[in-house]
Amino acid sequence: MKRVIERLLNLLAFLLTAGRPVSADEIRNTVAGYDQDNDEAFRRMFERDKDLLRNMGIPLELRPTDAWEVEFGYVVNRHEYELPDPGLTDEERAALWLSAQVIRLGGQPSGPEALLKLGGGAMSGAGEPLAADLGESAASLAVAFQGITERRLLTFDYRGRRRRVHPYGLLHQRGHWYLVASNGGDVRAYRVDRGSGYTVEGPAHCFERPAGFHIRDALPSLPWLAGDEDLEAVVRFDVEVAWWAKRQLAEPAMEQPDGSLEARIRVANPAAFIGWLLAFEEHAEIIGPAELRSRLVELVRSSGDE
Amino acid sequence: MSKTARRLTRILSMVPWVIANQGAAVEEVCRRFGYSERELLEDLNLVFVCGLPGYGPGDLMVAYVENDEVIVDMADYFSRPLRLTPAEALGLLASGSALVSTDQAPDALEGALRKLASALGFDADETVVVDLAGESALVQLLRRGVSEARVIALTYTSLGKGETRQRLVEPWSVFSTLGNWYLSGFCRTAGGERVFRVDRIQEARPTDETFSPPPEPPLPEVRYTPSEDDVRATIRLGQRARWVAEYYPVEVLSDSGSEMLIEFSAADPSVAARLLLRLGADARLIAGPETKAALQDLRSRILARYRGHQRSN
Repeated sequence: MKRVIERLLNLLAFLLTAGRPVSADEIRNTVAGYDQDNDEAFRRMFERDKDLLRNMGIPLELRPTDAWEVEFGYVVNRHEYELPDPGLTDEERAALWLSAQVIRLGGQPSGPEALLKLGGGAMSGAGEPLAADLGESAASLAVAFQGITERRLLTFDYRGRRRRVHPYGLLHQRGHWYLVASNGGDVRAYRVDRGSGYTVEGPAHCFERPAGFHIRDALPSLPWLAGDEDLEAVVRFDVEVAWWAKRQLAEPAMEQPDGSLEARIRVANPAAFIGWLLAFEEHAEIIGPAELRSRLVELVRSSGDE
Repeated sequence: MSKTARRLTRILSMVPWVIANQGAAVEEVCRRFGYSERELLEDLNLVFVCGLPGYGPGDLMVAYVENDEVIVDMADYFSRPLRLTPAEALGLLASGSALVSTDQAPDALEGALRKLASALGFDADETVVVDLAGESALVQLLRRGVSEARVIALTYTSLGKGETRQRLVEPWSVFSTLGNWYLSGFCRTAGGERVFRVDRIQEARPTDETFSPPPEPPLPEVRYTPSEDDVRATIRLGQRARWVAEYYPVEVLSDSGSEMLIEFSAADPSVAARLLLRLGADARLIAGPETKAALQDLRSRILARYRGHQRSN
């Protein structure tokens, strides 16, 4: 391993200082460790090294060495290679480490590499109990995230069609990851685990997010608050479900002498509200307004089988 | 990541830090980058023989330990660490944002996330947002029960049947996944391992009794996986009910664009019945006798309530 690492350090030092694309031949003749007698041996060694560097996230690219594009060479752009200094304190690094240990993105806790790059730190707390798992699809999320931060076109298969979107952000809510993106017209939320084959395409900075964009607007925390109507519903929750209703409501509710609950709830989206209320089965009743009440009754009547 | 890549990443992180903190103590460099002293010396010796073509004394990097101080020089091209990969940056931001949303975060975390995002060139508040279901007083009480290994008395309403029971539980862990908080532990009442959904716990009371937790409690698994015992229903979804296929783990049997046929499975038929109810005319139950019975029963109970006199206020 020692020889491989020496060779890779020499290669990186050379590419970071060359300031121009360097052909494979030049690397073979110049960089210590690559001077193989045999063409095939050199080729295999160099291929392996390139893969390893790219997997580490090193921006190793192939570019033409001249305007006629006759010959190609390798470049590591120093600006793209380097991590800008966020100026973290030791305490801040420790906080990042801790949160990455207790909250995972599906399965394994993340390795120490990210923290080492940020300047390392006391990596205690590795035995902390798991507090949350943000679900799987970590690989898809990473591609979407790249599209978001580099402002590049993102394509993926979703419900049988290939989508091409401008990705704006990622939102984790009620147990799922959503990609908030513009498809040219609307801004909408796609469930990340329902898509596949995520790929970034084209140049960076190909779009701007609209001013005043708020990621949460794409998916409100209480579903009945996402809408254009403005109603105040009065709802009675029976005593056996009162505790459950109280826990979910944003508004304070009035407890009745018999233990039931009367709540006044702001509703912007009646359909979503009724959908939520039906989870209480016959233990909740809309007292008013009358139109909302009859809307629920109509919905229930219209449900059924063939 | 391969062993070689991990070792190289550590070198490419340690070198810039030492360049910026010339003469740092061996002990500090080791602690910061997780090195043993021997490993650190090996890596410094390796850096010492690398550098730029020519590979003479003026071309190689300088790296050594003297009087317990670490020195790295002639390595300006490695003066900054390698940038984070998208997966690494996302991992830090997502878990950080999640922890902030629980009120359990260390004070420094919010500032750290903001600095990190701004160095990477984006807006910390509007790029990766994680809302864990609210960390209530109840979650905190359960967490305390776990850390004190204290038996907890629960009043718990089971999900499918809606049955409420008293239980004595030895709590092992409290965690959030799929949008809900869960408690896992040994249920003394049921005599086995159980996972409880925290929002279905009506009441929790710590008892005076403690227990010895298993040395390594099994990792809780809360994933919905269809099982043989599930009740299945075939449902036709109209245009406005297509979201169901996005939201629930269903099997899409066919999709004409305007209509979608799905198979919905759940442990209890009331889940599909409640769903059909809220979809109204936008969905139809095509097959599934248990679901049909549950739907009819639920419909008539709700309609009966709304037919009754409106309660007086």
